[in-house]
Amino acid sequence: MRKLVGSDRVFYYTLLPFGSIVLAVFILLLGVLAWKSVPILVREGASFFTKNVWKPSETSPSMEEYGILAPLLDTLYTSLIALVLATPASLLLALLTAEYAPIRLRGVLENIVDLMAGVPTVVYGLWGAFVVAPMLREYVMKPLHEHLGFLPLFSCEPISGQSVLTAGVVLAVMITPFMTGVIREAYSMIPFSLREALASIGATRLEMIRVLLSMMKPAIMAAGLLGLGRAAGETIAVSLTIGNSFSLSPCMLRPGYTISSLIANQFPNAGFYYYMTSALYASGLTLLLMGVLLNLAGLKLMWSWRERIHG
Amino acid sequence: MASLHRRLLLDRVFTLVVLVASFIVLAPMIHLLATVAVMGGRTLLEAGFSFLYKLPPSPESASLGGIGPALLGSMILMVLSSLLGLPLAFFTAALAVEFPGSRLSRLVSGLCRALTGIPTILVGVLVYTLVVVPMGRFSALAGALALAIVMLPYSYTYMETALSSVPKSYREAAYSLGLTRMRALIHVFAGIARRGLLAGVLVGLAKACGETAPLLFTIGGLRHSLFTGITGPIDAVPLLAYSFAMTPYEVYHKVAWGACLVLLLIYLLIFVAARMIVGRVRM
Repeated sequence: MRKLVGSDRVFYYTLLPFGSIVLAVFILLLGVLAWKSVPILVREGASFFTKNVWKPSETSPSMEEYGILAPLLDTLYTSLIALVLATPASLLLALLTAEYAPIRLRGVLENIVDLMAGVPTVVYGLWGAFVVAPMLREYVMKPLHEHLGFLPLFSCEPISGQSVLTAGVVLAVMITPFMTGVIREAYSMIPFSLREALASIGATRLEMIRVLLSMMKPAIMAAGLLGLGRAAGETIAVSLTIGNSFSLSPCMLRPGYTISSLIANQFPNAGFYYYMTSALYASGLTLLLMGVLLNLAGLKLMWSWRERIHG
Repeated sequence: MASLHRRLLLDRVFTLVVLVASFIVLAPMIHLLATVAVMGGRTLLEAGFSFLYKLPPSPESASLGGIGPALLGSMILMVLSSLLGLPLAFFTAALAVEFPGSRLSRLVSGLCRALTGIPTILVGVLVYTLVVVPMGRFSALAGALALAIVMLPYSYTYMETALSSVPKSYREAAYSLGLTRMRALIHVFAGIARRGLLAGVLVGLAKACGETAPLLFTIGGLRHSLFTGITGPIDAVPLLAYSFAMTPYEVYHKVAWGACLVLLLIYLLIFVAARMIVGRVRM
């Protein structure tokens, strides 16, 4: 950057503190979580991530033991269920609004999808807990267990509607509008000349879409990564629909725990015990790294694809 | 080479699949809006307009009471967090747009984009560790700080887009008149970009009123008293809805639905306002 002079320089130095605050917040977040995780990580090392145990003790710190294997796996489990459901859903919605809907409906549809992307998560949570959970239990989980119970995925009996599956479904509904927006934006970025070319050689709409979608594969992957990141970090809606209990079985009809709902539920009383706060900070650090990595990967993928399209 | 007839048939079938499947995909979203409207509507009809200013009920009470303290708390938090977060977003966006060559500005603009993916509960944990514990109490200030951090990346994105879409011709004209960068920004560019900037403000407000996780460990959920000062605990509508939903009491569930409807209406208002100002609103 060439040298600034006079009042431009003063202006730059006035703006710097604001930028530094943003940087400071990020560094503080990483630093505080890491610093507070040290006690439990020093005590348990890598086994903190590989065992499923949650043993607080009010009398003796040496009896405490914590391991977040179950919440860690369940976070991935629910996010993957959400991704598997949301990817085709968002592709369909993006195609609907970009290609198939009549022009007059397009605005309405775009608005509904954009609106749903920002609806407060507690609303999704209440809907999930009071409406979706009972419905899924009666019409999806019980039949799945009855007829496909030999599969390890459905081998446990669904007692309450709150389960890994319910949380995954609610998360899917939550991240679909967001992913639809990303895919739709990417779709509109493909130069029009390509569509003209496809039309000029007589492609049907389906064939044109197939070509365009295959061009968009990195963007779709990026949308998937970003959606996965969002799903993994979601707290409130998950806490109300997942049942909040430690469990390691591969069955998806059972209640579970994600890292974020673990923190939400256990943090208030963690102060009574010796190592629990540190354990929760460590799981928070894990969640942060997951979220940031997924987000960065998604954004990077999106950026490089954009460069290629316009280059 | 497939026959033309077959290709056209596949095209028709796919169109049908897309229409039917989209209906299935849109159904849960419409269902959610309808459910909140019906369940929340029942509560609001039963409780009447006083739902907006009365105190919450006790678990066994017959009347529904209201969400007065929480609503007031949400408004106060919206104002406080905007005061903290919006200027920060604006000046950071100004830094990124006016001085794009600087290493810090590029780093910060990348960071802001990454910050949208941070789980919001961790922001709450951070503010708890750095503000609530040293202060020794829950406070509206801590909640506002947490909300400001959460809203920052979203407002920043809108404001940065707005400022960077100011056409080059205006920049050249402003500089040719002898305006310094700062004057040009304040007197010329901000005015031209006012729509996007306003959208950034509204998106920030929407985040501030709707987020729950940053408030879990910062504001303390003071359910039955009105404002006790910004260094005192306070309640918020989403927090109230969340806490009440986790209880086993029927009355509390009804109040939670009512709170959700109020929240949804506030969000709808902000969304429609933002939509009228800018073409698309991306949360």
